[in-house]
Amino acid sequence: MGTVGHPHDDATATRRRFLTSAASGLGSMALGSLLAGEGVLPATGDVVTDGGVTGGGASPERATRKPHFEPTARRAIFIYLAGGISQIELLDPKPRLTELTGKPLPQSFAGNEKRLSFLKLDSARLMGSRFGFRRYGECGMELSELLPSIGSRADDIAVIRSMHTDEFDHGPAEMFFSTGDEQPGRPSAGAWIVYGLGTETRDLPAYVVLMTGRAPVARSINWGSGFLPASNGGVLFRSRGEPLLNLANPPGVLDVAQRRQLDAVRALDRRRLERVGDRAIAERVEAYELAFRMQAAAPELVDLAGEPPETLEAYGVGRDDEEEHGFATNCLLARRLVERGVRFVSIFQRRWDHHSGLEEKIQKNCRVIDQPIGALLGDLKERGLLDSTLVVCGTEFGRTPVTQNSEPGRDAGRDHHRFAYSVWLAGGGVRGGQAIGKTDELGWHAVEDRVHVHDFHATLLHLFGLDHLKLTYRFKGLDFRLTDQGGRVVSRVLG
Amino acid sequence: MPTLLAMLLTVSQIAGDHWSFRPIERPALPAVKDAARARNAVDPFVLARLERAGLDLAPPASRETLIRRLSLDLLGLPPSPEEIDAFLADTAPDAVERLVDRLLASPHFGERWGRHWLDLARYADSNGYEDDRSRPDAWRYRDWVVDAVNADQPFDRFTVEQIAGDLIPDATYSQRVATGFHRMCPSNEAGNPAVAEEYRVRTAKDRANTVGAVWLGLTVACAQCHEHKYDPVSQEEYYRLFAFFNGAVDVQIDAPPLPREYQEAYERAREAFSGTDNNAPLPPSTKALTIADPPEPPPTHVHVRGDFLEQGPEVAAGTPAFLPELSARGSRADRLDLARWIAAPANPLTRRVAANHVWQHLFGRGIVKTSEDLGTQGSPPTHPKLLDLLADELLESGWSRKRLARLIVTSATYRQSSRKRPRADATDPENRLLHRQNRLRVEAEIVRDLALAASGLLVWRLGGPSVQPRLPAGLADMEVLRNERFRDEDEGSDLYRRGLYTNVQRTFLFPAFETFDVADPNVSCSRRHQSTTPIQALTLLNERGFFECARALGHRMARRPDADPSRVIRETFRRCLGRWPDDDETHVLGSLFEELRALYRGELVAAQAVSGDRSADAAEVADLAAWIGVARTILNLEEFITRE
Repeated sequence: MGTVGHPHDDATATRRRFLTSAASGLGSMALGSLLAGEGVLPATGDVVTDGGVTGGGASPERATRKPHFEPTARRAIFIYLAGGISQIELLDPKPRLTELTGKPLPQSFAGNEKRLSFLKLDSARLMGSRFGFRRYGECGMELSELLPSIGSRADDIAVIRSMHTDEFDHGPAEMFFSTGDEQPGRPSAGAWIVYGLGTETRDLPAYVVLMTGRAPVARSINWGSGFLPASNGGVLFRSRGEPLLNLANPPGVLDVAQRRQLDAVRALDRRRLERVGDRAIAERVEAYELAFRMQAAAPELVDLAGEPPETLEAYGVGRDDEEEHGFATNCLLARRLVERGVRFVSIFQRRWDHHSGLEEKIQKNCRVIDQPIGALLGDLKERGLLDSTLVVCGTEFGRTPVTQNSEPGRDAGRDHHRFAYSVWLAGGGVRGGQAIGKTDELGWHAVEDRVHVHDFHATLLHLFGLDHLKLTYRFKGLDFRLTDQGGRVVSRVLG
Repeated sequence: MPTLLAMLLTVSQIAGDHWSFRPIERPALPAVKDAARARNAVDPFVLARLERAGLDLAPPASRETLIRRLSLDLLGLPPSPEEIDAFLADTAPDAVERLVDRLLASPHFGERWGRHWLDLARYADSNGYEDDRSRPDAWRYRDWVVDAVNADQPFDRFTVEQIAGDLIPDATYSQRVATGFHRMCPSNEAGNPAVAEEYRVRTAKDRANTVGAVWLGLTVACAQCHEHKYDPVSQEEYYRLFAFFNGAVDVQIDAPPLPREYQEAYERAREAFSGTDNNAPLPPSTKALTIADPPEPPPTHVHVRGDFLEQGPEVAAGTPAFLPELSARGSRADRLDLARWIAAPANPLTRRVAANHVWQHLFGRGIVKTSEDLGTQGSPPTHPKLLDLLADELLESGWSRKRLARLIVTSATYRQSSRKRPRADATDPENRLLHRQNRLRVEAEIVRDLALAASGLLVWRLGGPSVQPRLPAGLADMEVLRNERFRDEDEGSDLYRRGLYTNVQRTFLFPAFETFDVADPNVSCSRRHQSTTPIQALTLLNERGFFECARALGHRMARRPDADPSRVIRETFRRCLGRWPDDDETHVLGSLFEELRALYRGELVAAQAVSGDRSADAAEVADLAAWIGVARTILNLEEFITRE
């Protein structure tokens, strides 16, 4: 369920006006000079790679840091459709597969693969897409008829049809796609980017997570900071009420009282700072000021009352179906977040694990996502944000070109498939209007311009001006990186 | 795993040359100019390095600072005003030593230092992975750790019982619970039959890697081994180590019954329960977790490129060649042989690693900063001879960690002031030479423990099943978490237990702890981060549990209507921070009190909401709200969550 779209009451408005004026008033100016005097304000510098554990460390709330080379993307909206979307129905047209529907999978394809998920090859049958493909845009990109709105942006989109991954179970595969490792403990791609570049907003977290429906299987590992400092990880925004936990003052604490208490905290902390000279105190003072600003900025962020009705309608905010409304709202919030300088936004929707009844379920899902994503791409473009905002739409693995142990038909579904799947990217320096990579005629294996998850991550970092070989963090004696021991930038993605 | 593999490869090449693989010899005390400053054997090593850099030790910390530092480091609790008074009044020359002895004898020492060990052991109360089901027996191991630390169980026995307690002849219940160490890893119980063997292998590798990191300081686990190419020799060494864990099976054993109150609480919960079976209350656990080896262990093969499906040559259990030789009791080495080899005085790594851990928790940074890695990839020791002295002391003291901690905290080095020294700071900006103590933000659980203790809400009870404190308001209606296995919040006193006892859910950490860099229980963690973020500020300001503390403290303050407000402020300040405020500080809080009181006199409804008291009259309730505001301010000071 999505946020907001409901008019706020007067008390909220009053509070916000108060907070806004107080936050921009004398207090924060005094604070600014205090921090500058202490030499605490960020100095831009190279990406920090030392795993300093004690001490304040490099706190991304403060810093923007220099990338390794000129980036084309400055911020990202990562739409994670968890569960494993079917590339066969949506992104990778396979006419030959359609012709062969109902036949068993030739032995030459399955090979001697020892690890299949729930699939039994003797009862599985080839099954072409249940839906047609259409040519979209000037580029004529072939995408599913279920994606007309996304398709209308085809000239901005690069679809990679030759993705493959190492994992075929949701948890490990999600983690692999999010962190480059199939076990818990590593930072998510978004955390790496925040770690590498810092943030441009002082009022909101550097990395915000939005979600509709159930959480993905690996939950917060998908947006976590792993062994990086916690401040690099995603902050999950709530979909109802106050967007952040602990955002509202406790019961009865009037805003004027809150400000007064914060002033006292600051006065006492500053006195301590003068006495003991530890810059960690200045960092703590700054964190409180940021928190105070967040108390104003976060409700303002999720308040869509100022958005024109045609924008709400374009995204589909207010659609009757709760999930459709929620996903649309999150897409609109994502735009509002990146407008405000948030570095990385993840939108999760977990509803793509179609082991059966795929035909109906995927239609419903496409109704949920197509219009808002298309509107988001259009909106970003109109506002001149798409050039610098990377939009990614991806998933942890694809689905088998065969049915899952049944005859093809309405009720059939597809199993998890790691050898070939599709994701797409747009904006942020991505060369649109192209399809990268090919799968074989059945869509079983990626065969041309194969893109491993590590390659995908290397490319993601590259768009942000980060060299995946240089963005490292020393932990447990090793210089870890997002791409582990692999990774190769897919140059065709770049503009 | 590639890291451990890589390690083995590198060390075989440079075997014997790396500092931490050399035998430990007790170093001679270095000569120093300022010998008068040295209080014990620790100090000359630190002084010698400082003097070489033209520096010296900082002046001693004030007594007030010292007792708070010691209480936080050893117990994770603030000293009470009475304890401070008694210490300040104690003019005997051994006052510090006696204070330290009292703290080391406190049962809260085991809670504090047991938690350090639980970070290494990757302790959690759930299984992890998709279902992340509750692991209701895990706390038996937690309590075993706390008890063992409190009893100062010699570290060699502590080691053997955890690695192979089940194999000790006539193993006791306690020894088998200790071996529950190996059960603290995540386990994937549901899932796909196709991957069952894969997860079994993964678990065994996790155990080998964790033992390597925790005791030997050889870097731990990751995965993706199949993407690395190693030469057969180094792979073989890794799989020899892995072979010790390859056959182990998970076992549950009967545990002593819980006190009756737990059964009664369960019966009450069961009667009141009206939800689905999915989250029905579970009866109190009567089991403990451990492992056992089958009589005939399965053969172990090298996994070619780390892929368990690609079996290479068969290998026998064994230890790396660059370390002292292992002697097996029988024809084939088993886990108990490994455990004894690790705990043997001749093993140069075990004692250095353990001594470094102790030092780290008393200075915020180890003599080897990368405390999980004393290998060639780790950072070099700042004071290698001092580390050897400590490693030798550990053995000489009968493997007593309490005596080692006592030696360190009674040194002049530990007792220095933590104030910044501009001149020394220019020479030694990271304070690697220890020209002062470090100021440390306390760990996640201790942040909360301090607030509970200062407010008087803390329930001091030790041990027992984990508890679920209040979750942040609004968490329950986060739709995305609707299906999460949140435990229901506990009631009554269980809401106010120490953070050590808070339920650890692997896939959803207690939010207030996660915000303050609690250890990720999915992997062994030897040192935590210390980040500073606005989310932390929002937590301390607004989170339900922390506000409850402020409210309780405010009520305490208001209970002294006859006292002069500035006196109440001074006493509360000292209760929280362990020192008297100066006049300016008192003034800031006094004006705050006056302003809030005036404000709330015109805002009766708000004042009632703040205080939670609807019965009091307007003036009384305004006072209460104002005191709560003052309490909340003190609990949000940087100094409150800082160990000076």
